[in-house]
Amino acid sequence: MLSKHDRAVLETMLPSRTHQKLPLGLFDTGFETLYASFDRDAARTFRVGFRVGLWTATWIAPLLIRRLPPLSRHDRPTRERALTALARSDFSPFRQLVAVLKTVASLGYGADPRVRHAIGYPGSAYDEAVRS
Amino acid sequence: MIGQIIHGADFAAEHGTETFDFVIIGSGAAGATAARVLVDTGATVAIVEEGSQVTSSDFTDTVWPALRDLYRGTGAQVTRGRGAMGVVQGRCLGGSTVVNSAIAWRMPETVWQSWETEYGLAEALPYAEIVQRWAQIDRELSVQPTAPEVWGGNNVLLEKAAKVLGVLAGPTSRYTAGCLGSARCQLGCPNRAKRSMAETYLPYAVESGATIITNARAERVLSDRSRASGVLIRASERRESGRRGRTLTIHARKGVVVAASAVQTPGILARSGLRSPHLGKHFQAHPGALVAGVFDREVSIWNGATQGYNVYQYLDDARCKIETLSLPPEILFARLPGVGSRWLEEIAHSNYLATLAIVLRAHAEGAVRERRWFGGTDIRYDLESRDISNLRKGLRFACELLFAAGAREVLTGVHGLPERLTSPDQLRSIEAGPDDAACYSLTTSHLFGTARMSPDPAGGVVDADFAAHRLPGLYVVDSSVFPTNLGVNPQHTIMAIAMYGAERIAEMNS
Repeated sequence: MLSKHDRAVLETMLPSRTHQKLPLGLFDTGFETLYASFDRDAARTFRVGFRVGLWTATWIAPLLIRRLPPLSRHDRPTRERALTALARSDFSPFRQLVAVLKTVASLGYGADPRVRHAIGYPGSAYDEAVRS
Repeated sequence: MIGQIIHGADFAAEHGTETFDFVIIGSGAAGATAARVLVDTGATVAIVEEGSQVTSSDFTDTVWPALRDLYRGTGAQVTRGRGAMGVVQGRCLGGSTVVNSAIAWRMPETVWQSWETEYGLAEALPYAEIVQRWAQIDRELSVQPTAPEVWGGNNVLLEKAAKVLGVLAGPTSRYTAGCLGSARCQLGCPNRAKRSMAETYLPYAVESGATIITNARAERVLSDRSRASGVLIRASERRESGRRGRTLTIHARKGVVVAASAVQTPGILARSGLRSPHLGKHFQAHPGALVAGVFDREVSIWNGATQGYNVYQYLDDARCKIETLSLPPEILFARLPGVGSRWLEEIAHSNYLATLAIVLRAHAEGAVRERRWFGGTDIRYDLESRDISNLRKGLRFACELLFAAGAREVLTGVHGLPERLTSPDQLRSIEAGPDDAACYSLTTSHLFGTARMSPDPAGGVVDADFAAHRLPGLYVVDSSVFPTNLGVNPQHTIMAIAMYGAERIAEMNS
């Protein structure tokens, strides 16, 4: 289960209605379904990395921009600044945790057919075009 | 006589203990090739595979199901050390050959010469014999340069750059027949065009009578009177039939052939009681980094062969090779910079990116060992400073190629360097980049050296006949036996050496 704090992190990573071409946010793409499978089937280190990433983003990232945690208490621009600071930290484990968060978020977001259509991913349509 | 592919739980329920001439552990490039040779000698063969049987109808064009069903550790296996490097391995029938880009490169002769002079392997692995096996595999697996018709935007741009800079380059030779250029090699070929082991040598072995037991982990090799006599396997549960997992013994009359990869093989040997100061040591790899060029027009990396063109100008002076690499959207997105609205902006333009991989022949040696408490394998690996220096050279060359192809910007993906270079004038900054391996985002799928071959028992784990020095009847034929890495994609050499090794094993046991 994703907590309110977890959702705040993930919504900040891929927000809704902020980009003209990609108006869908992560939670508009059925991420909960992907997450349920991930939580059940992913390797233990992968799952633990994701949970630690969420915790670090919630409780540590705001401190990097001198704001009090948790992340969820702040507005979206502040949350983005906090996560950006985490992603650019000189402390490599922080960067690696952001990479894990982005990977799991991407597994859901990049699989959504509407996102794929928006970016021009052809998928099986390409195979069919070549065959014909 | 037709053999079978059977789930371990079903095998346990229907057959119980059985005896074969040879039991092969692993169904990837090395194990399948060994099976292909051994069945031709008339021997009875069982292949034990930890992963599941998958077919092209199981493959999807999304990444998570592939990570879950086809990859070891759901694709999240990493090294421990200064900077975590991803270690990508297949875990299904056919092993990594199902999910790699099917690249066929012959080992450079200079590498073999170092094996001859530094490791005394001239007689164990005669170059002329390996060349013959390469030629046979070329014929049997339809090795051919990637046809221009399926290059797609990414490969076309690298060819253009190579021409502009006048560097040694060419279309990548691959095991394919009828490739449509779907750019989905890492998810399993949806068109059965990739000549993976699951499409070639494994069906051949089954048609010749081999039994393939899937979903069965090799716990250890058993010995009887100081000779390998079988394998204790643990079959996993089969939910569909309600059959529970259990352990059982598969007996081997003539030998046990281990081909489980340079990460898993040493664990199996150690669990089997084999002791050697070299076991699990000398782990080598080809760490890979990714750079992306931003173009003013659509590149469409998702149309065309996943890896269809490569530049090999820098193999000697920087020990690196530069290849095109198309990534599925999910993996590409995760590598793009930014979070929130900035990340979305990068994602929105991902179809304007060309992506190149830098594959480094690193000097560094690491070690693999079984984790005592939490299961799995611990891979310890740290790049040397000379490796990082070569990696920076490779990154610079790759960025130069992208600019030569017309990129407006290049995304370096290195912490401590500018996130994006906007002019070739900035290329020099790369060579002054960070010395810390943790600043680079690295992945590898080329793994070597953890049960190295040496005619001298004090110098390696297996002898010149691929047999374990301290346990007759136990053979190793995968890239664990390589004394060094290669600098080029290893599958072709793994197969050629496994083929030669299996022939030797058959001769010795005839």
